[in-house]
Amino acid sequence: MAYLISEEAQELLGAVKEFCEKEVKEQCKEYDRSGEWPKEIYDKAIEMQLHMLEVPEEYGGMGLSRVDVAALFEEMAKADAGFATTISASGLGTKPVLIAGSEELKKRACQLIVDGGFGAFCLTEPGAGSDAGAGKTTAVKDGDSYILNGRKCFITNGGIASFYCVTAMTDKSAGVKGMSMFFVEAGTPGLSTGHEEDKMGIRTSNTCDVVFEDCRIPASNLIGAEGKGFSIAMQTLDQARTWMGCVATGIAQRAMEEAIAYGKERIQFGKPVLKNQALQFKVADMAIKIETARQMVAHSLTLMDQGLPYSKESAIAKCYASDIAMEVASEAIQMFGGYGYSREYPVEKLLRDAKIFQIFEGTNEVQRIVVANNTIGKF
Amino acid sequence: MEILVCLKQVPDDSVELHLKPGTQEVNLEGVTPVVNAFDTYALEMATRLKEAVGGSITAITIGPEGAKDAVKTCLAVGANQGFLITDPSFEGSDTLGKSKILAAAIRKLEADAGKPFDLIFCGREATDKASGQVGPQLAEALGVGVVTDLVDIQQTGTGVQAKQETEEGYRLVDAPLPCVVTVNKPPYDPRYPTIKSKLAARKMPIPALDAAGLGGVAPGAAGSHVVKVYEPAKRQAGVKLKEETCEETVAKAITMMADAKVL
Repeated sequence: MAYLISEEAQELLGAVKEFCEKEVKEQCKEYDRSGEWPKEIYDKAIEMQLHMLEVPEEYGGMGLSRVDVAALFEEMAKADAGFATTISASGLGTKPVLIAGSEELKKRACQLIVDGGFGAFCLTEPGAGSDAGAGKTTAVKDGDSYILNGRKCFITNGGIASFYCVTAMTDKSAGVKGMSMFFVEAGTPGLSTGHEEDKMGIRTSNTCDVVFEDCRIPASNLIGAEGKGFSIAMQTLDQARTWMGCVATGIAQRAMEEAIAYGKERIQFGKPVLKNQALQFKVADMAIKIETARQMVAHSLTLMDQGLPYSKESAIAKCYASDIAMEVASEAIQMFGGYGYSREYPVEKLLRDAKIFQIFEGTNEVQRIVVANNTIGKF
Repeated sequence: MEILVCLKQVPDDSVELHLKPGTQEVNLEGVTPVVNAFDTYALEMATRLKEAVGGSITAITIGPEGAKDAVKTCLAVGANQGFLITDPSFEGSDTLGKSKILAAAIRKLEADAGKPFDLIFCGREATDKASGQVGPQLAEALGVGVVTDLVDIQQTGTGVQAKQETEEGYRLVDAPLPCVVTVNKPPYDPRYPTIKSKLAARKMPIPALDAAGLGGVAPGAAGSHVVKVYEPAKRQAGVKLKEETCEETVAKAITMMADAKVL
């Protein structure tokens, strides 16, 4: 069973599916090899407005519910997880502004996306991964400006974004309470991109270092108040990680569909291999896992839409969906046999694509900390 | 420029169709209805022309209630308004009947709007029956000229210049307005709807026109009748030639073709 979505979203789903089938799925095979960021595919997606599904209606967006958007994201993820990641990471990059930014910044960020841009979220640093509070990037107030210095790494959309939401220390002595969040537009002097990662999977998304060298931005680009950066970053990740669960579910769904199609065609011992109950049970286990993941994603998004707490559910959705995406992709390869291990067939890519979902936007170990804290409580 | 685009909803042509066993009826169960591909090319060409010279596009289709979806699809990619022409008496009519109905609908829409259509676009043929007759028959019914198999069109001082694809190449045809044009595959693809245009199209009304509303138009006597509906013969297994040398293989192939009188 798919997401329960509105009638209008069902119509959109057909159009998005057609687009992904014709313009993304096959084309991304070659980009997966080359590692090139497929600008022409993204240009077409922008023309269709697929990049702005998360923009709120009051800032020029569509006004779809989050579950409606999830159904569309899953379709994109089925075609190519890197493609879906680029679009979803743009939503991640916009969330700090939407959560705590001034009205002016919200309008600016959303307009940049509506005009065809992407956002990027800059939290991770070489020495600050899961320990996000250990960041060394600084922001020093100078009159009506802040001056940023430091290096961020593993930034999705780092090289192609129109704007960045960046954490930086405004008071190094105060630990995570000395961290603040800033809005920096691409093209600001002192902002540059560095080393680009040659990744194992999601190779159609761009991941690179983002460097700040005496990067001067207006003081009004501070998001929220000084010292609130860590809290804003955590709220951002709380929301964003469900979307990663959604994309991971899409990878798993694709893996199952490929395995079923192959299992019906591949003849061994005079019959399709899927006639063997051993393989039918594999498919059943895939379906059980995928459906559970999808409904957890839907539940978390519904909580968000209703303004209820969702921190624990979001962590469960991301953690579970990415774990099962790995399991399902691996089992799909098993069902393909030797051909599954070949790059000529589509399933090995799914395993490579799935792995990162256990790592980024909070490793699954961090997700388990979030779930444990929300379940056990303080004692 | 006032443009009208005629559409037909057809079964998805990417699916292999079969007859229901023992009948001459095509089994369309589970086959998604889509807008005829040549009609989508016609709409895209019309939309590009509208964007270049201004004006508006009206989309019409003949069919049951479900055919509204075809009109809705077109409202999301360039058409400004759309109408469904539907009546139980229209069902089963042949191309001549359909052309008469379309002509009556066009006259009615022109009278209601108080202005004529300058250009009427059709696909060169529908991907289901592929007769390619409706465009020319519609032109005849309206008493205007027709240019078929277009791959491009431009406005000129006196009308339009149409680039027609022929067996040998291209022919540029100047045509005065109003006229009917039928469209082949142009060197570009139809655009995708944007999310917003798709959502907006959902909310647009698609008024229905029936036989009574069209002055009691009836398809009339069919100009053609279907003799038989059957599936293409399955391809026979070929003959494999493997002589000692390449030359001998070719010689044997030539002999066999000569014997079969295909040469």
